[in-house]
Amino acid sequence: MKKYMLKRILTSLFTLLAILLVLFILMQLMPGSPFNDEKLNDDQRLALYAKYGLDQPVVVQFFKYVGNMLKGDFGVSYNISKNTPISQLIQTRLPISIRIGGFAVGIGAVMGLVLGLIAAIKHDTIWDSLATVISVIGVSVPSYVFALALSYSLGFKLEWFPMLYSAKEAFQSSVLPSVALSMFTMASIARFTRSEMLEVLGSDYMLLAESKGISGSALIFRHALRNALIPIITVLAPLIVDLMTGSLVVEKIFAIPGVGSLLVTAIQSNDYNVVIALSFIYSAMYIGIMLVVDILYGIIDPRIRLTKEGD
Amino acid sequence: MPKESKMALAAAGEVPYVPSDEDFRLKNNAGEIAIDTNFAAQSFWKDVLIRYFRKISAVVGLVLIIFITAMAVVGPQMNDYTYSGQNLSQKNLAPRVKGLENLGIFDGSETMNTTTGSKKVNYYQEKELDDVYYWFGSDNFGRDIWTRTWTGARVSLIIAVAAAVIDMVIGMSYGLISGYFGGKVDMIMQRFLEIANGIPRLVIVTLLLLVLQPGMLTIIFALMLTEWVGMSRIARAEMLKLKEQEFVLASRTLGAGSFFIIFREVLPNIIGPIITQVMFSIPTAIFTEAFLSFVGLGIPVPQCSLGSLISEGFNSFTTHPYQIVPPIVVMALLMLSFNLVADGLREALDPKMKEM
Amino acid sequence: MKKTKAALAVLTAAAMVVGMTGCGSSSSSATTETSSSASASEGAGGSGEASAAGTSDLNIMLETSVMSLDPQQATDGTSFEVIADYTDGLMQMDADGQAVPAIAESYDLSEDGTVYTFHLRDDAVWSNGDPVTASDFVFGWQRAVDPAIASEYAYMLSDIGQVKNAAEIIAGEMDKSELGVTAVDDHTLEVTLNVPVSYFLSLMYFPTFYPVNQAFYESVGDTFATSPETTLSNGAFILDSYEPAATAFHLTKNPDYYDADKVQLPGLNYQVIQDSQQALMSYQTGDLDITLVNGEQVDQVKDDPEFKTIGAGYLWYVSPNIDGVPELANLNVRLAMTFAIDRDAITGDVLKDGSAPAYTAVPPQFATGPDGSDFSEDQTKFSDVCAYDADKAVEYWNQGLSELGISSLTLDMIVDADDAPQKVAQVLKEQWETTLPGLTVNLVVEPKKQRVEDMQNGNFQLGLTRWGPDYADPMTYLGMWVTGNSNNYGLWSNEEYDAIIAECTTGDLCTDAEGRWARLYDAEKIVMDEAVIYPLYAQCNAEMVSSSVSGIEFHPVALNRVYKNAVKAE
Repeated sequence: MKKYMLKRILTSLFTLLAILLVLFILMQLMPGSPFNDEKLNDDQRLALYAKYGLDQPVVVQFFKYVGNMLKGDFGVSYNISKNTPISQLIQTRLPISIRIGGFAVGIGAVMGLVLGLIAAIKHDTIWDSLATVISVIGVSVPSYVFALALSYSLGFKLEWFPMLYSAKEAFQSSVLPSVALSMFTMASIARFTRSEMLEVLGSDYMLLAESKGISGSALIFRHALRNALIPIITVLAPLIVDLMTGSLVVEKIFAIPGVGSLLVTAIQSNDYNVVIALSFIYSAMYIGIMLVVDILYGIIDPRIRLTKEGD
Repeated sequence: MPKESKMALAAAGEVPYVPSDEDFRLKNNAGEIAIDTNFAAQSFWKDVLIRYFRKISAVVGLVLIIFITAMAVVGPQMNDYTYSGQNLSQKNLAPRVKGLENLGIFDGSETMNTTTGSKKVNYYQEKELDDVYYWFGSDNFGRDIWTRTWTGARVSLIIAVAAAVIDMVIGMSYGLISGYFGGKVDMIMQRFLEIANGIPRLVIVTLLLLVLQPGMLTIIFALMLTEWVGMSRIARAEMLKLKEQEFVLASRTLGAGSFFIIFREVLPNIIGPIITQVMFSIPTAIFTEAFLSFVGLGIPVPQCSLGSLISEGFNSFTTHPYQIVPPIVVMALLMLSFNLVADGLREALDPKMKEM
Repeated sequence: MKKTKAALAVLTAAAMVVGMTGCGSSSSSATTETSSSASASEGAGGSGEASAAGTSDLNIMLETSVMSLDPQQATDGTSFEVIADYTDGLMQMDADGQAVPAIAESYDLSEDGTVYTFHLRDDAVWSNGDPVTASDFVFGWQRAVDPAIASEYAYMLSDIGQVKNAAEIIAGEMDKSELGVTAVDDHTLEVTLNVPVSYFLSLMYFPTFYPVNQAFYESVGDTFATSPETTLSNGAFILDSYEPAATAFHLTKNPDYYDADKVQLPGLNYQVIQDSQQALMSYQTGDLDITLVNGEQVDQVKDDPEFKTIGAGYLWYVSPNIDGVPELANLNVRLAMTFAIDRDAITGDVLKDGSAPAYTAVPPQFATGPDGSDFSEDQTKFSDVCAYDADKAVEYWNQGLSELGISSLTLDMIVDADDAPQKVAQVLKEQWETTLPGLTVNLVVEPKKQRVEDMQNGNFQLGLTRWGPDYADPMTYLGMWVTGNSNNYGLWSNEEYDAIIAECTTGDLCTDAEGRWARLYDAEKIVMDEAVIYPLYAQCNAEMVSSSVSGIEFHPVALNRVYKNAVKAE
């Protein structure tokens, strides 16, 4: 197990490096340039390219970047906030995105599990239909419509929560964005929990467990849910990364200084260093979570043997 | 290492003999393992149909999908407006339907909430448009929302179905193969997947749209590159769960080939989660497209999709809320019916659920 | 050298002055509100009436975040507005957009019009206690032309300002110390120009010309202007909370400001809100005092007395690729297209934010001539080549098609992936396709950066673009269509036109204000006759300004909003 994990971690690091290289190549393919403002002339543009080392071959740029990155230097922004070190730009924003995303995942996962369990246990009853309708609304209404509807009703009309994010009231002002973001997660989890639970509940070993006299909550939670969790975690994992790296639309509507809107702006304004740094953080989180999921599989389901060498 | 030499070495007692796939081939029956599938398949699909139509919600879902698809085909032709034809003098008109207007609904009036107070207005009367009817209202260019909604539904359905089919084919095969073979194959395939998926989808999709001409084909292509990953992960997880089970071992012992086991033995057993995932990839596809519309890179204007219509209506959400309602309702009905159908299919397809 | 002492009040009449851009009638209320408080700032001494300072901050909505607080690197209106909140240049803008003294108390101009000597006031201090000296300006200006800084607005010193040696330094041919600006002593700054520049003083409130304290700059190094600790104030406010690209930040009144008596607001509270519906709701709950409103919401607020439309200065136009598309090289086709545009429908039915239809290459209400009249006040002067006339359009169109020997034409138009341009483009497509038989226009939507790049590379057929004036002179527009200018996207070339522009920039007409003005009309006429661009509209912003607030000064050029004289009633 230890050997497997070590190997897995090493390959993950290698994957990350490969992703970084792919990102670099992608940036080269990107049309446009960070310095094509209408008011710059050709000489100035060349000077800017030279200043930021963008005139060098990609390979040189890549190794320089990796070298600097190991020292904690992600370069500077070209457009979004001129000459600001990326680390400075991100360090205050990432925690905000992670916090709001984390809330959203929490709300979504708990609500989704509850809805899914109700639907599965009360299969083919009115409860099942109700849970289905709720989760369908969750997937079919875009989060920005939710966000504005929440803001209009709970923020503007009832004045329960602030309409805009503010650092002074970080918790209260995170409520509406987190709820708006959690809808899709909730719906996905609910649907998957339902479908997985139905399958598990119909399986032979549940019949066996039931016939052994295990019943009620023990049956559901210790036996059924445990088996249904694997696919649920598989669905949840990438959603966590997506949510924690910020959502453009929700950030835009609630004026949240997060990283989601930063990425979109960066892509559209060819701010290479910001795109690379944010994508890299995303990749690192993603690969980290995949690593955890792989290891979790082994813990939740002992039937999966992780070390299967020499086949 | 060639098999002969390996066997020779084994015989010589130098290396312990490791059995390979070829050792488990069914004797005198190569390639004809599927003899009874013909009969089985017939009764299986008949069974599926019977079980499917027994479930009312599934039938309702199917009817809804057929209805929306039919409307997407004929809806835009049901009045004289075109999806792009503008009439700036008839912009932002509330829904008005002949007949219903006498009942006090859909009579073209709307409540305007202004900062100086709210008032009920009817622009049809103000502008003396006695014989003008916009069933779903008109947008801020004076385009008919009815026509645009169904045109948009058409575009969204095409994108969604294309994405789902691609999801099925690429993602499922990838995940099943990776999960079944395990070991090094799995390791390499999963690393490739991690690289492909570790880059934010947004970066890949936007980049593609920037490099290629924006349009429906580009969007489908971009979705194809990014959406299969979720499916492959489900398929792999299911495969990992099932491949150690007795029926797989039994089939293997009988000499079934890897691909037979993957697609004929394991696949029918995991069709439930797969179908569920396909049905979820449809909203994801529609949403990705909607998101692209939100950042201005979706279907190029003045063409429209449900997503871009929602984005457009979103800008009038607090002023003319009726503009966002039709695309959202159609989208929600579409999602609901896909879910109901998925549910019905899953139960009808799952052999283990026969008794329930 | 013989010098003429010019009183600043007299000077402004000769300089090109920037008038308030009135968009529709509603903006007049903004003007009247500002004029009373602005007149107080005319005296240079700072002995104005000290009324009781307010107690609550002004809450301001921004649409985009600040891109840079470095005065020599900033390029966008939002950044300029914030920099100017806490930095004063040699001159400042008064409520009418005229240059009035700020750090410079007075100035002398040599007889040939090429040497300005500014006399700096001695009570101006930086927020770290250092006095503001002439060498701060020298350092700032040298940064602006330094190739290592690569300032985007360096051309303000070279092409526009004609500061001696600026062009050579930008090109890397000379050291930055050779720039034609010297600190004679701590309070005397001498600027040498290549040729007389009539609007030079109005450049002085442009942030590129702002001073930078060298010692402070060197102490903070690369982090200059990225946090409150790394910025220095010499203006009405001090930045006290800010992070790069922040969505919310705050400035507080500067007690050491030389004109502090006049500043009544205790602070400025900025909030970036990208979604305009949220912004309006926040305004309605009282969280904002000033906010932008987009087209759809204008219906909601148009009867509100707090609703105002304010000139943004931008001219939106379509640039046909005359050089790259043979069909567009045909004058009749171009004229047909410009006659087929119903500009009133675009501004009145779609934008609704007060934007005014434009029929001239230089938009109205930003450049005022030597006789005090608006350069483009008469929007009908080119009505024989630019108007809405469907019949004429078809006539030109058929003539053009027959000359080309074709019966139909398909063109692509590239458009920014933003809300307003996409709306306008959809209307244009519809108008062209319904008016001109056989014409198909496909819209290609791209992020702005890419659209600009495509246009610069000539990789387009039609492009929807805009231009904002950098200084209050028609040349900021007319300079674009000179052969070889990088913003002459269609690569149109006309010798006569080039000659007129050269004459007016560096030639004989530099010192002859009336003659130059007349020749600029001639130049504009050529552009319009040849349909080099299809002007669409002069952009206005629809804003809500709380009735408790008065004295905010709005300008279409350089500094869009100035809060120094604003008052917020409790």
